[in-house]
Amino acid sequence: MSKAVLELQNLHKSFGALQATRDLSFCVNAGEIHALIGPNGAGKTTLIQQIYGALKPDTGTVLLNGRDITGLSVADRVQAGIGRSFQISNVLMDFTVLENAIIAEQARLRQSFRFLHPAFDDPDLQTGAHKILNRVGLDDRAAARASDLAHGERRMLELALALATRPDLLLLDEPMAGAGQQESQRMSQIINDLRGTVAILLIEHDMDAVFRLADRITVLVEGAVIANGTADQISHDAAVRAAYLGSE
Amino acid sequence: MTSTIILEQTFNGLQAGVTLFLVAAGLTLILGIMDFVFLAHGAQVMIGAYFAAAITAASGNFYLGILLAIPLTFASGYVLEFLVIRHLYRRDHMEQVLATFGLILFFNELIRIGFGPAALYSDLPPSLSGFVEILPDTPYPAYRLGVIGVGLACALAIHLFVSRTRIGAMVRAGANNPEMTAALGVNIRILFRLIFAAGACFAGVAGMLLGPLTAVQPGMGEPLLILSLVVIIIGGIGSVRGAFIAAIIVGLADTLGRVFLPGLLRLVFDQATADGAGPALASMLVYILMAVVLIFRPTGLFPAKG
Amino acid sequence: MGGLSSVIKLACDGMRDNRLLWALIAGFALFPIYTHFADLPFWNDVAMRIMLLGMAAMGLNLVLGYGGMVSFGHAAFVGIGAYCVAISQVYGISNGWLHLAFAIVACGVAGLVIGYLALRTSGIYFIMITLAFAQMLFFLFVSLEAYGGDDGMSIDRAEFGIIDLYAPLRLYFLIWACLAIVAMVLMFIVRSRFGVTLRAVKSNASRVEAMGLSPLRFKITGYVISAVICGIAGGLFASWQEYVSPDIMHWTRSGELMIIIILGGLGTLAGPLLGAIAFLLLEEFLPVLLGSLAPAYAENWMILFGPLLIMVVLFGRGGLSGMIGRWYAARNAAGKGADRR
Repeated sequence: MSKAVLELQNLHKSFGALQATRDLSFCVNAGEIHALIGPNGAGKTTLIQQIYGALKPDTGTVLLNGRDITGLSVADRVQAGIGRSFQISNVLMDFTVLENAIIAEQARLRQSFRFLHPAFDDPDLQTGAHKILNRVGLDDRAAARASDLAHGERRMLELALALATRPDLLLLDEPMAGAGQQESQRMSQIINDLRGTVAILLIEHDMDAVFRLADRITVLVEGAVIANGTADQISHDAAVRAAYLGSE
Repeated sequence: MTSTIILEQTFNGLQAGVTLFLVAAGLTLILGIMDFVFLAHGAQVMIGAYFAAAITAASGNFYLGILLAIPLTFASGYVLEFLVIRHLYRRDHMEQVLATFGLILFFNELIRIGFGPAALYSDLPPSLSGFVEILPDTPYPAYRLGVIGVGLACALAIHLFVSRTRIGAMVRAGANNPEMTAALGVNIRILFRLIFAAGACFAGVAGMLLGPLTAVQPGMGEPLLILSLVVIIIGGIGSVRGAFIAAIIVGLADTLGRVFLPGLLRLVFDQATADGAGPALASMLVYILMAVVLIFRPTGLFPAKG
Repeated sequence: MGGLSSVIKLACDGMRDNRLLWALIAGFALFPIYTHFADLPFWNDVAMRIMLLGMAAMGLNLVLGYGGMVSFGHAAFVGIGAYCVAISQVYGISNGWLHLAFAIVACGVAGLVIGYLALRTSGIYFIMITLAFAQMLFFLFVSLEAYGGDDGMSIDRAEFGIIDLYAPLRLYFLIWACLAIVAMVLMFIVRSRFGVTLRAVKSNASRVEAMGLSPLRFKITGYVISAVICGIAGGLFASWQEYVSPDIMHWTRSGELMIIIILGGLGTLAGPLLGAIAFLLLEEFLPVLLGSLAPAYAENWMILFGPLLIMVVLFGRGGLSGMIGRWYAARNAAGKGADRR
């Protein structure tokens, strides 16, 4: 039996009269790729924010590896094992690709509060940083400034940085947004290769990618879960077809 | 500590409060809608005061001075926005701080060249130099009462304008979400220019009203600027209502604090400590108030941005 | 001692990477030789003032240039440092080392409190709050009649054991030594893991958060360090001027520090020192310039300074150190081209 890395229990979030998240519960198991789909406005991003810690739910619990993290800050949750790639590339634009990775690596090693040795010249940090970049094939662009990267390359860096903390749970918020055909395939390949090493909660609108990659899918409509199961089960679920796939 | 003194000082506090509001109202909109750190707002106070003082001296009529100074101050704000300010919106805050700091230096020096460094003292207009009995046996300077009246009238006018007119709605939208407002096709450039000029105008009116009470001199606006920043922090950036309430609170706290705090301290502590700590605490009171508000409400009491 | 020799090696590498900064500092060390032979002892005084302003500006630059925090209240820390010296003397403490210790502790605590309260906000709020706190401290010292109040008070130069600060050039080299130490410390900090993370917070705080770090903790730490540096500058300033008054901490002084930083180049190590030189030279020569153009208005030279500042903001790219960098790069490129021919 798979262990649940992420467990959401009865999450509820309202913004005034708008109920963005309604009595929401589901799990993400270790090593699986779990897709979260739903029409625009279904509350997917709001949910990710609550898992990530940028938003606090009104009621409900978020459990990571069995531990209640509902009250923890974003930084503490990342330390507890959550990684996130953002919908809009959120890298350190003023630094080079390698420097981005070095800063992530030293953060993982909890070394960031040191004042003596130059960080970017440290051979151990550099080795770790190159490893991070190699995971997504960005090592040849190590010397480029992040602001000079092409869109697809920046998405890769985004993913690399999310993986740099060696999370147990990876939140991928539309990783293929704005990516061309080639970039999407490359991203798909990388995500596929991650299966088994880290639990992934994937928000994506590209339905081909979703059905190819996902082990399980949760469908969100107007803040509530209307279906939850394997890709096969979901594609045959009548309620889902009506609410979402049908209208496409 | 008679009730007369308490009443008198309360009214003084109200007068200080509405004057602060006139300065803070424009500034909170400039900070909130344009995200522009306009340090030279105090210079607008000074410009308005000098326009009024000059015209009053030339014509001999206080009311004429104010009447003509208002459109002149509005125009000066309009021109300033067009020539300098609008090039700075896209800059980061530090650059805005430095550029407007440069404006302060420039205007202070300009006034010094034009009018000399010494303070100008103007007399109260004869029609307002008497006293009014706000309560039996409680005379209060008519002029100060007039200032309170003008201040409240301006507050009411701003409130009605912002809440009842279309332009006012655009202003409120701009305070709440500038990007969206621009995206909706509102002519942001003209809106900004008008807000800026209106803010300059109200700040100038504060200066004009204060002229006969204090002195008209270079740099007279800076203390008001700092205090109105405190008002805006307490009231919330972008909120005119917040600015009004906070301005009254700050005006009252500052005035009453300076008068009564030393005395109150003497009740609790010995003479020496009270006399030493009293004035210090009184002058810091407003800032301590601000710090307390910040601990519980970092974005002020009535933030405009939801 | 492997540890010490590796630190020395790091220092030398750093100095080589920051040639402009260390050339300037070396220049200040040699300057008194020039003034001695040119018989211009007054200029030693100007140089001391430049070094002190440069030191304070370097402190502010840590949070402003590298940390992205527009703090308008740093003159308050300079003032606290100065008043630590003055108040100690009122109570009979004339030992300069103790003064230094007081200044460091007082500014550290003040930096921590103000930093914690202010850094939970950002943007315009942060600027205004730091400004307001600085004014609060200004008014506090104005109202403390026991320590001079509005008029300030005269003080003696501190006693640093065997070093007699009244002997010629002793104070000069004390200030110089502190400047060099501050520059060295900042050089290390900026390249360290902490410094790099602080710069990352300026670049993108939410990304730093996503790496599992608390941006606030880094900002506050940087703020406290910068406050302490300004405090040290303030303490030395008190000895130099032999007088303290609340004017040291008026908010316009904070503005001056910012002007110095932007003149010299934001977020560079040499910038604040270059800017201090430029600022004081402008202060000396603008009145002369205006006096020759329009003698009646020589006193009003500020009217030139204001627009100059606006011009620098609108058109100056990277300040003086940016210009020097570009000139240097262009010269190198031209040189290489000539060699290839």
